[in-house]
Amino acid sequence: MLQHFDPNKDYGTPARVSENLVTLNIDGVEVTVPEGTSVLRALLKRTSTFLNCVPAITWKHSALAVSAQWKLKVAAAPCFLYHTCRKRHVCYYAEQQAGETAPQHHGAVHLRSPAGLSDLSSNGNCELQDVAGAVGLREVRYGFEGNNHLDAKKDESNPYFTFDPSKCIVCSRCVRACEEVQGTFALTIDGRGFDSKVAAGQDDGFLASDCVSCGACVQACPTSTLMENSVIERGQPEHSVVTTCAYCGVGCAFKAEMKGNEVIRMVPFKDGEANRGHSCVKGRFAFGYATHDDRVTEPMIRDSIDQPWKKVSWEEAFSFAAGRIKDIQAKYGRESVGGITSSRCTNEETYLVQKLIRAAFGNNNTDTCARVCHSPTGYGLKTTLGESAGTQTFDSVMKADMVMVIGANPTAAHPVFGSRLKRRVREGCGLIIADPRTTELVKSPHIIADHHLKLRPGTNVAFINAMAHVVITEGLEDKEFIANRCDNTAYNKWREFISEERHAPEQTEDITGIPAAEIRSAARLFAAAPNAAIFYGLGVTEHSQGSSMVMGIANLALATGNIGREGVGVNPLRGQNNVQGSCDMGSFPHELPGYQHVADDAIRGRFEASWGVTLDNEPGLRIPNMFNSAIDGTFRGMYCQGEDIAQSDPNTNHVDQALRSLDCLIVQDIFLNETAKYAHVFLPGASFLEKDGTFTNAERRINRVRQVMPPLSGMADWEVTMALSNALGYEMNYSHPSEIMDEIATLAPTFKGVSYDRLEELGSIQWPCNDAAPEGTPTMHIENFPIGLGNFAITEYVATEERSTRKFPLLLTTGRILSQYNVGAQTRRTPNQAWHDEDVLDLHISDAEMRGISDGDWVGISSRAGDTVMRARITDKVQPGVVYTTFHHPGSGANVVTTDNSDWATNCPEYKVTAVQVVKVNSPSSWQQNYQNFDDQQQDFLKQGRESVSQ
Amino acid sequence: MGNATLSSLIKMVNQIADNNVHVGTADDAANAVASHITRFWARPMKQQINEYLNEGGEELNDIARQAVTQLQK
Ligand code: SF4
Ligand code: SF4
Ligand code: SF4
Ligand code: FES
Repeated sequence: MLQHFDPNKDYGTPARVSENLVTLNIDGVEVTVPEGTSVLRALLKRTSTFLNCVPAITWKHSALAVSAQWKLKVAAAPCFLYHTCRKRHVCYYAEQQAGETAPQHHGAVHLRSPAGLSDLSSNGNCELQDVAGAVGLREVRYGFEGNNHLDAKKDESNPYFTFDPSKCIVCSRCVRACEEVQGTFALTIDGRGFDSKVAAGQDDGFLASDCVSCGACVQACPTSTLMENSVIERGQPEHSVVTTCAYCGVGCAFKAEMKGNEVIRMVPFKDGEANRGHSCVKGRFAFGYATHDDRVTEPMIRDSIDQPWKKVSWEEAFSFAAGRIKDIQAKYGRESVGGITSSRCTNEETYLVQKLIRAAFGNNNTDTCARVCHSPTGYGLKTTLGESAGTQTFDSVMKADMVMVIGANPTAAHPVFGSRLKRRVREGCGLIIADPRTTELVKSPHIIADHHLKLRPGTNVAFINAMAHVVITEGLEDKEFIANRCDNTAYNKWREFISEERHAPEQTEDITGIPAAEIRSAARLFAAAPNAAIFYGLGVTEHSQGSSMVMGIANLALATGNIGREGVGVNPLRGQNNVQGSCDMGSFPHELPGYQHVADDAIRGRFEASWGVTLDNEPGLRIPNMFNSAIDGTFRGMYCQGEDIAQSDPNTNHVDQALRSLDCLIVQDIFLNETAKYAHVFLPGASFLEKDGTFTNAERRINRVRQVMPPLSGMADWEVTMALSNALGYEMNYSHPSEIMDEIATLAPTFKGVSYDRLEELGSIQWPCNDAAPEGTPTMHIENFPIGLGNFAITEYVATEERSTRKFPLLLTTGRILSQYNVGAQTRRTPNQAWHDEDVLDLHISDAEMRGISDGDWVGISSRAGDTVMRARITDKVQPGVVYTTFHHPGSGANVVTTDNSDWATNCPEYKVTAVQVVKVNSPSSWQQNYQNFDDQQQDFLKQGRESVSQ
Repeated sequence: MGNATLSSLIKMVNQIADNNVHVGTADDAANAVASHITRFWARPMKQQINEYLNEGGEELNDIARQAVTQLQK
């Protein structure tokens, strides 16, 4: 049944699904709810004002589970609140019916909190005050002379929220939120009786504790004890707009709570279907970058990168950019220019950029940063399952009995999903982790993985083949699923291949480093689970065999029949907010929007008719091909929207050389990012708060992005692309992003039923959305695959060329951490710096000792591509022989070291394996010194640009 | 055309070949490589690898060579 989209109603606790219905009589009105529904939810069905009449404080929070005694059970009708409760909170209502009043409750309430009740001006955001008001509580029973906590010291260590214990009623909601919703277990109630109080960690303050600043406790707190600093400083918000987080691929929905045009706070939206009211530190708190002083809000141009910038009008910027591109094409040919779309921008913006490239530039030289993260997912899943996307919803994990996480660290990179997964594991779901590092999911409070398969970087395919080998040779496959749903010729061929002895765990042990017995046991567990799901991340894709590994994962899911229902599936955890969308929108050089190949005449014909141009029928260049061609002199102009290729792409020296070779680089961004330092035209971008559009998350869920403040530069990104296209002579004419979506719906069959009206109606839509599935498709491949039958692919293990040698004996792998996002351009400009203000190199104690390195020492890291210097951190999270770092800070130069090795099928860079040497040093590398000089120079050019008079 | 592109193309086609050796016979493998190049490579890349083969194509492995030869038909 379609649930009506009501953004504001809060039913306090989650909806329950049950065939057994309970009918109760509230105030003479009958209310029917499914069994298991909380009493509160049932009451709120009757009336929304009831909230104020029920002391619901200890349990009203929609994401918290309902304790057993609060659930309604089927009982002989007519029933009333069928439950027993120790302290009689909820009986309050029943008793009131019987003539009793509320004094008992008054006692319970104000015993703890004279401040909370008297200080009514505090913020108007206190349920305790609301309840007190509703029951007519006016005076404080024990006065201010009695025992109280008014002198308790505030904890202001967290940069985003304050804990003021003088207002605390010790209701435990924060503790429960941290446990049940977030799964971090950072809070406890210390002490007994009147002395009991909330403590973070060992009572050492929020920042020093395990707290990951997700904000769940702040949201759950019914008083103003835990409160956002922005609210304390600027007061209560006045209105709100529901929008979507612009950080990771979870795609959390938020209420942006505003005062005028200023965002006061971001509150996770309870009806958000991806996040169900939860969030992480990035989306919840790290939005201040949007109004940071570093924002560049006026267009700038310059003739060469050795010159200062010059501020110009929008018109002049467009005509300068268009003139340069046209000159290049006149001189070097149509194919000498191209562009890069952004996985951070909206679907509509991405669609326009690739359209501009194909229609106005007249070639297919369009690519996107998904090239460097999930392009193998597109290739691998399309080949095996017929669609370049994950198969499930995030909710689906709550029905899994076994989850295998491969090469992903969800608690850091996809935190809200990470919390959900932990919750399911605490409910008893099995967990297998395949990762060279010991991630949080391997072992953390109340979580312990059944297996941690600690494979060597670069040996994924040998590992997944060994898993499949065990399944097939031990007869654990799902024969019925294979017979009915899969291509049997392909299967028999694969079966023969995978059964060969060389794939046996005993044979691959030396390659992967995983003991054979452990693989056998993991494979048996996986195959035996009624519902087994695979989640994977960049540890799968960013390898020379990324595509093979994705296909190997799909093979395993097909062989065990784990596709086509809830609780199972192949789930790529997408990095950036709109990676899925940017791929869907035709950013890749060989595919038009909706994954339709450019060489297909009929498909191309439809686009040509709609766009009124002739399109090239050959694929265009990928990003690495563009770079090489730039160095060779055949590629000379590039339009780059919202990406920072200079920092994010591997082998920085090579990228530097390529970008310096361009005659015209047009960068559209909110900051002068690393790439913009090589640019000739700077077009100011808009943050996600400043525009309308849609993002598509890792579940294929299309979420609305709603404008909450006007663009600082005066133009949203889609308007800028449109104006550039018009200046190039290819006319675009849209008055709102909804019109762009309407066009997409006519051209991409999987988007046929999508429109802004439908999104308003349904809240969000998971594609495919078409005549067959007018409300979208939460679970894919239920009856058949887009290619008819599931296809088993042959996945031979081919060792990477990148091996440890005497000269480079260690393997470097890269990743990310919770508080920073990607190249860090946004999060580095927020107080998230409190958690991670530099990239460090993690290494194992044995490797450190061998080199005389102590914790905190400066170490030089060199590979055949280049070298850089960072601080060392000694840890047991990495195995001997493996070192690990992040790439959130440009000056640390992680990508100076990574090489240009890449996936055989998609050229996705092999970020996860670089052979390196590490030595103790005491000065920055020569690259870092050069970088510093270049950065100083470009910052100076920017300053001169900002000070120049617009012409 | 300079060397940056060509050397990367040679590496790419050899790598595609290595990853397709096991799909079946040598002919099957060459077909798979040729079809991959047809579907995913840009026109100038195809031209360049063709020219390289015509000049001798020394660094191409066997399957890669067979595949590029096939592309020219
Ligand atoms: S901090 Fe808030 S949620 Fe936590 S116990 Fe105190 S009043 Fe309850
Ligand atoms: S912010 Fe999140 S992690 Fe930190 S204490 Fe609160 S609920 Fe726990
Ligand atoms: S970064 Fe990801 S998990 Fe965190 S709030 Fe944003 S979408 Fe949600
Ligand atoms: S818990 Fe039952 S009356 Fe408070």
